[in-house]
Amino acid sequence: MATPLLEIENLHAGVCDKEIIKGFNLTINEGEVHAIMGPNGAGKSTLSNVLCGKAGYEVTAGSVRFKGKDLLRMSPEERAREGVFLCMQYPVEIPGVPTTAFLKHSVNAVRKHHNLLELDTMEFIKMVREEGKKLGIDGEMIKRPLNVGFSGGEKKRLETLQMSILKPALSILDEADSGLDIDALKVVAEGVNGLRDGQRSMLVITHYQRLLNYVVPDFVHVYADGRIVKSGTKELALELEEKGYAEFVREK
Amino acid sequence: MGGLVQQQDFDAQAPWLSALRNAGLQAFEKQGFPTARTEAWKYTKPRALNVDDYVLSVAGGKTEKEEIPFDCYSFYFNNGVFDGNVPELPDGVEVMSLAQAAQTDFAQDYLGQAADVADKPFAALNQYYLSSGVCVHILPFVQLDKPLLFINHTLAGETNLLMNLRNLIVVENGAQAELVEYFHYTGTVKSRYLTNIVNEVFLAPDSVLKHYKVQAEAFKAGHIALTAVNAEKNAFYKSLTLQTGADIARNETHVKLLSEQAGAEVDAAYQMNGWATIDTTTDIEHLAPCTHSEQLVKGVVGGEAKGVFQGKIHIAPHAVKTEGRQLHKALLLSDKAEVDAKPELEIFADDVKCSHGAASGELDEEQLFYMQSRGIGRETAKQILIDAYLEELIAKVEDENIRKWIKLKIKTDNL
Repeated sequence: MATPLLEIENLHAGVCDKEIIKGFNLTINEGEVHAIMGPNGAGKSTLSNVLCGKAGYEVTAGSVRFKGKDLLRMSPEERAREGVFLCMQYPVEIPGVPTTAFLKHSVNAVRKHHNLLELDTMEFIKMVREEGKKLGIDGEMIKRPLNVGFSGGEKKRLETLQMSILKPALSILDEADSGLDIDALKVVAEGVNGLRDGQRSMLVITHYQRLLNYVVPDFVHVYADGRIVKSGTKELALELEEKGYAEFVREK
Repeated sequence: MGGLVQQQDFDAQAPWLSALRNAGLQAFEKQGFPTARTEAWKYTKPRALNVDDYVLSVAGGKTEKEEIPFDCYSFYFNNGVFDGNVPELPDGVEVMSLAQAAQTDFAQDYLGQAADVADKPFAALNQYYLSSGVCVHILPFVQLDKPLLFINHTLAGETNLLMNLRNLIVVENGAQAELVEYFHYTGTVKSRYLTNIVNEVFLAPDSVLKHYKVQAEAFKAGHIALTAVNAEKNAFYKSLTLQTGADIARNETHVKLLSEQAGAEVDAAYQMNGWATIDTTTDIEHLAPCTHSEQLVKGVVGGEAKGVFQGKIHIAPHAVKTEGRQLHKALLLSDKAEVDAKPELEIFADDVKCSHGAASGELDEEQLFYMQSRGIGRETAKQILIDAYLEELIAKVEDENIRKWIKLKIKTDNL
């Protein structure tokens, strides 16, 4: 029997008294890949930010359980250590912080949480080199300050690298394909698919169907006006690509 | 300050020395103790330094050895008094105590010649007392192989100690040296203490002094420092100061670029919280053509603390083809933290390049969230951003071991 990993029940959330998520329900079991598709302005980014604990969003009702624990009570770093990873649409640049140093802090913070020994520099470099190679990331790139001057493709590859070395139980991909050409998209998709092992789960949030050609979902949900209005399998994504979101937006 | 009538500690009373001391006393009495109305002390309120029962520190306390992770020639100052031990030095480097030096013509030639006390009450007081210190003489063309390290240790306790240190550093033609100053304390602070130090630096033509300083005094302490530098033709003075201690601190650097091609790079970092005021004051005088100076000052201010930067660049009428640049930046970690920056450019020559700038900001929430979303704790994330902020300055320290040591002295527990 499937074990639930993420259980979202009747979630209501918003910003500055404006309700954006209006009664959202979704259960993701271990090993499942769910896609959430929706028109612009549906509240897709709000959903990923609320799940990751970004400040400024207020949850007014409902619950989110992750591995049976109350996710909403955890700080952003606790959620990450428990295994929630947000692959960001626009990763921030941090001048003065070398990418390797940042990655090492991150990996060891997560390891420490799971009572694993922290990696020393040699072990860490070896692991990053191996994983980086698969994503076409060379040693030069990760010596540079975090995301500073990286192209859109480089930023997304670095997000994928972090996902591969942190090995989160749940990866949330927020518009992971934005700003990518087809080659970069394939590299990122391969990295993501490499994590599909029947145990890890994914939530792919996207406007376009394009990414779903490469990261094939088990379930597709249409998200409009703050909640899921239709659920189906991967065929639903193709249908949306053809017909657009007009039907769901009208339902409002 | 009631202690003014007390007598000095060392006996040497050559007529020139008495005259110098009297001039110091007169200058202090003329100016009086600075008040909030004194222009130079407008932002850094000196009131808390004005304690009635200061006791002049005359006998040194116990030497406190601390592991220093770089090779150096160490000199120990305990409670503001040089302990008299001069390490074995290579040929061409002469060091003696101020008391010994005061009996020589050498000291007479230099003492009081760089530090102008007319508008500096604390330096005037220092000149009156001239309590303790060392004289360093680097002979022509000597390249000192290791830095000189001055370790100033205060054993904080019951009494309000007043320490007046005076060091003299003379670097002759074509010689090069590095000097590291370190101010720290042990013990429980039950009173205030005040470190009032003046360094006079004389750089002969083509000489170089690299001067690093870490000020990590007790929280309930005053630290008033003046380094006055006279740089001759093609001489270069480079300094970097990190201040993390004291509740009232001023690090003042006064450089006179006296002759062509003389240059200075005066950088500083400060980091504090609580209700401390840390002040960086600079005065760079371009007194000859083709001189150059550069300043980068960066601060991290939390709590109700205040960072002060007063930076003056003066370019004399005939000092053409001169370049002077200055930049102050601060990171404010709380709503009550404050920064006051007063750049002052006095340019009396044409055909010069001069610039100044100031900026302040807060930690970036997006950057913090990004790091948190990767499992890094918020406090660690803050520290990473602060380190990155100061890294630009610390990277300027060429010697790797000194750089690492200064990095360690950036406080990690006070934010």
